[in-house]
Amino acid sequence: MSALPLSALLPVLQDLPQGIAARLTTAAGLSRERLAPEFLPTRIEGLDRLLGGGLPRGTLVEMSGRASSGRFSVALSALAAATQTGEAAALVDPGDHFDPQGAAAAGAELSRVLWLRPRGLKMALAAAETVLATGFALVILDLGLARVFRQSAGDAVWLRLARRARFHDAALLVLAPTRVTGTAARIVLAADAARVGWDRSLLDGLSSRLVLEKTRDANMKEKTSLLNLSLLEAVQAGKKERKICLEREEKEKENAVAFSGHLSAFGR
Amino acid sequence: MERTAGAEQQKNSSLMAPRLACLVVPLFPLAARLRSEPALKDEAVVLCEGNGTAAHVVAATRKARKAGIRPGFTLPQARALVPDLLARARDTESERAAQEALLDVAGTVSPRVEDAGDGVVYLDVDGLERLFPDERDLGLALIAAAKRESLPARCGLASSKLAARVAATLPSSPVTVLAGGEAAFLAPLPLAKLDPEAEIVETLARWGLASVGDLAKLPAADVASRLGARGHALHETARGRDPRPLVPRRPPPGFTEGMELDWPLVTLEPFLALAEGALTRLARRLEAEAVGCARLDVSLTLEPEGCDTRSFELPAPTRDVKTLLTLVRLGLEGRPPGAAVTGFSLTAQPDTPRKGQLTLFGPAEISPDRLATALAKLFALLGPGRVGAPRAVDGYRPERFALVPFAPPPPPATRKTPRTGRGLLSVRVLRPPVPLEMLLEGGRPTSLRALASTPPADGGGRPALDVAGAVRVASGPWRLEEGWWQEAPAFRAYWDVELSGGGLYRIFHDEAGGEWFADGVYD
Repeated sequence: MSALPLSALLPVLQDLPQGIAARLTTAAGLSRERLAPEFLPTRIEGLDRLLGGGLPRGTLVEMSGRASSGRFSVALSALAAATQTGEAAALVDPGDHFDPQGAAAAGAELSRVLWLRPRGLKMALAAAETVLATGFALVILDLGLARVFRQSAGDAVWLRLARRARFHDAALLVLAPTRVTGTAARIVLAADAARVGWDRSLLDGLSSRLVLEKTRDANMKEKTSLLNLSLLEAVQAGKKERKICLEREEKEKENAVAFSGHLSAFGR
Repeated sequence: MERTAGAEQQKNSSLMAPRLACLVVPLFPLAARLRSEPALKDEAVVLCEGNGTAAHVVAATRKARKAGIRPGFTLPQARALVPDLLARARDTESERAAQEALLDVAGTVSPRVEDAGDGVVYLDVDGLERLFPDERDLGLALIAAAKRESLPARCGLASSKLAARVAATLPSSPVTVLAGGEAAFLAPLPLAKLDPEAEIVETLARWGLASVGDLAKLPAADVASRLGARGHALHETARGRDPRPLVPRRPPPGFTEGMELDWPLVTLEPFLALAEGALTRLARRLEAEAVGCARLDVSLTLEPEGCDTRSFELPAPTRDVKTLLTLVRLGLEGRPPGAAVTGFSLTAQPDTPRKGQLTLFGPAEISPDRLATALAKLFALLGPGRVGAPRAVDGYRPERFALVPFAPPPPPATRKTPRTGRGLLSVRVLRPPVPLEMLLEGGRPTSLRALASTPPADGGGRPALDVAGAVRVASGPWRLEEGWWQEAPAFRAYWDVELSGGGLYRIFHDEAGGEWFADGVYD
């Protein structure tokens, strides 16, 4: 019995109702589907599009960029999205930069977040390795603001972490000011210097450009994306309100000074 | 045929008396000591009681016994036979732990266990026929379980405590006495096996009685009238009717292992080597009960007197020896006991680990066992206050936070879709705030430079913020006032500043101290 060629099946597929036809696939397609990585969306549209759906599970993704390039916001957004789907996430934070209030405002379910505050790089790497082996869907390793030299950790450590992530089907996101993971990262993103947006004299947000520096996935067509980050509305509204109050206070003070000056001139 | 009759007899008799098993550890003080120091098992070792010249041998290992050493020898006598003989004192802590371990072994097959002390345990084995159709298999299982706890136990099964105890002391253990056959089993044994009082022993010797069977043959009323209530009880025992019921013990709340040391320890490493052995035994016992250690209590006996106790709370129950040992190490390194240690006990407060629920459509739950072990490892690695779930705290100071034990709720039955987001700008908090040198013009920041910050009190490793430059845009001030009733209130004026070289920072002027600080980086 010989197999039918795909061309012979096409008319049959065309005659089927659309709902059923959409769910049919070839064996090769099924295999591709099965091998395709599962993604953890970051909820940042441009970045998700750039990565083909989000942070791929089972891989090490590195994101580098200087201070105020938006990498910490990306990490918190991914953390919020993962916990909203019901997954547990871990944040290894040797710099102790995490703000629980800000993360909760960004939508993170804090009860599903394991926050680790190691002292130094060595402890941070050991902690990341432990949580990767535990079964967390997303592990974020934030190396902070100070430059980390590649030789201080060694390539073998990053390869081991990447292997752990692959074995336990976890997405490992490493944030660093400069590239540190060497060949271990499957995807490397670089955030360019940001442009700060001011609404008159109030901070509005910042935008930077994300560049896909390295990927092993040939399907990723786009190489750059814009990252637009805006200040939390509640914060923005509060600042506006306080700004108005301050301006009013200053105006009243000026009026009072002018009035007292007028009085003294009148008295003289 | 005899077997059938025996089985019938057992069936009839089982209606009257419960079946009992007795576990006996021969030379118990020595066995307990060897359990704590397994390296001594193949050496010539004696266990002594008394001090100086009054020290005498209580028990000896096989190698020492082969050399001719017997209980009652003085230590010099024993050393004359074996010059490289190792002598150890009796260790009540090891004996207590070994007795508890033996009770745990019995508890694995029956909930009704009596603690008879000194390496003797009785247990009610009624109703175990379906699990162990042959009682001998039950005895073998108990012996094997005791062996796993490093205790060479013997087992006897009968319908009375005495018969079971006597059966347990016989060779070719386990020995089973058929129900109703206790009198016949005891009859050929010498009267000393009944452990009678000295006064009664003399009387029975005058009567010319030598074996248990001789006593059993006498009329009960005559024995009672001549020897009183104690004699009557002894006669009943000789006839296989042990009037003593099984008195089940109430299990203690914790599992304890420990040791009394022959010499005081002044350094950490030798102590940890001994503690590791004790923790391994503890973990084995916890595993047998399917529980984990939720809190580890450490008690150290100090020289010349005194005691140092400390507790280690674990974020989740665990049986991981390495983790528990690391906790003990960190605890002792952080706060040394202050004197040489002459003994220790480790008590694990047990708790049942939570079971995970598998799901078909939702996100997979992290295995509670694996999570508990990982949390304990992280706790040991990073120290207290550095592992947990973050919690939002009421207040206005941006650096505020709280950590609670990480206990994630079960994942939803179906995977939820994350809410759409549009990318919010987050702030990296700088803890503690970095002091700044500022240049102002008309009260507005125009230039800043980070100063070397003092390291945090808890030794945290936050790298110094390397920032300096002219301010391109400054927005502010936003006033913050909090805790005016407290010792350290916050009166701050916040600014958002963008530096001309790049970087967006949140800085504040401490209006009480007059200094400037950076406490966040928009990133």
